[in-house]
Amino acid sequence: MPESPSNPNAPAPRSFDRDAGSSIVEDLGLLQEIQSGSQNAMAVFFDRYSRMVYSVALRVLNDPSEAEDVMQEIFVQIWQNPGAFVAGRGSLGGWLVVVTRNRAVDKLRRRKPSDPVELFALPSSTNLAQEMEQAFLLEKIRAAMTKLPEEQRKSVELAFFEGLSHSEIAGKTGEPLGTIKTRIRLALIAIRKELSV
Amino acid sequence: MSSTQHTSREDLTLYSMQALTPAEYAEVKAHLETCAACRGALAEELADVALIGLSAPQQALPDGARQRFLATIANTPQASGPVAGTAPAALPMPAGKQKGGLGWFGWVTAVAALAVACYLGYHSFDLQQQLDANRRQIVQLSAQASRAQELVDALTSPEAKQVTLTETKRPAQPIGHATYLKKTGALIFVASNLRPVPPSKTYELWLIPANGKAPMPAGLFRPDATGSASVVLPPLPAGIEAKAFGVTVEEAQGSPTPTLPIVMTGQ
Repeated sequence: MPESPSNPNAPAPRSFDRDAGSSIVEDLGLLQEIQSGSQNAMAVFFDRYSRMVYSVALRVLNDPSEAEDVMQEIFVQIWQNPGAFVAGRGSLGGWLVVVTRNRAVDKLRRRKPSDPVELFALPSSTNLAQEMEQAFLLEKIRAAMTKLPEEQRKSVELAFFEGLSHSEIAGKTGEPLGTIKTRIRLALIAIRKELSV
Repeated sequence: MSSTQHTSREDLTLYSMQALTPAEYAEVKAHLETCAACRGALAEELADVALIGLSAPQQALPDGARQRFLATIANTPQASGPVAGTAPAALPMPAGKQKGGLGWFGWVTAVAALAVACYLGYHSFDLQQQLDANRRQIVQLSAQASRAQELVDALTSPEAKQVTLTETKRPAQPIGHATYLKKTGALIFVASNLRPVPPSKTYELWLIPANGKAPMPAGLFRPDATGSASVVLPPLPAGIEAKAFGVTVEEAQGSPTPTLPIVMTGQ
């Protein structure tokens, strides 16, 4: 759980909690300007998140042209209907990462876009706008991934970046379904813990 | 899984990655439509799943990608509000004198008009900048006011549950006071006379749901030099009926489940 901001002697906050509130406020301000038709605000918003979105899409698709298509699709959607996220609030950066990954996997697997998770606002404690400007945090996440036991890291990567279902991963690795589920869950817990140190 | 039982965290993780089988996926989706607690848990899972995405190496955009995007939105209308890409129409030229020279008076007029246009353009740009800054400030203030209002509501609402927590074995000493508003999930916890904890440890606050489900972590805190600490508006899902609140001592990074003993409790 995030630390209380009102406790002056609280331990160092998790990196993801840092300035999350102000980032959200900035994002909301931009989204409201976008809603009023400001292309300048859209450009600022694009500059803030495009690299992150493109990098996730490219990691999944391994094709710069297709990754750019996914990125454009997502930002055009925000341009066309910024109110959809303004109403939802929460962590825009986290939402963008998840939506980008899902769109890219849909493209990879040539399936129709079906993305109910887009309807969910992520907890505000995971806002990424500030963190994206801090290379050390990204390094920390990558380091956390490399510290995972090989089988956990592989399971997570197969699920997240290759879009395989748990039964497909089980078939590919020869492990029981329950083991795959547990590995993925443990990997997420380990990454979160690593970041909170 | 069944629609009457809560979805396991493992399945929510897989759901967030679309990694369940179609049948499982449909079952979880149906349950989520009726279960606020699982929707809250899914949001937390999504936040963690987003971290995995950030492990992807950061790549520079392809050349011209930004320009291509800006050109696209310039020609893409928004769902509502002003239509993008509609530049003001150029003023039509007067019917006559299109080929003839301007003459002395014409040149003076043109230069004066240009100077006025430049001034007005600069002034307009300056005003637009101020307007944009003011808009941002209003949004920031609105967000701050909204949070402050939520805080006041939680503290003053007659529906708020007021709970005093005391140390299990020595009730007279450390005291915690939790104020909790179920309908918004707003929680304010203030404690005093707390015993110090080692640097490697932290106190963790728990909301114990009335429905018998597992305790929900509600924030980490460490006492200051006077033994005081607080947790203000931790991200709890709305609508959870609280049976009690408890405090445990955990490793510095916190724990997803409470480690016994419960050092403070109250209901």
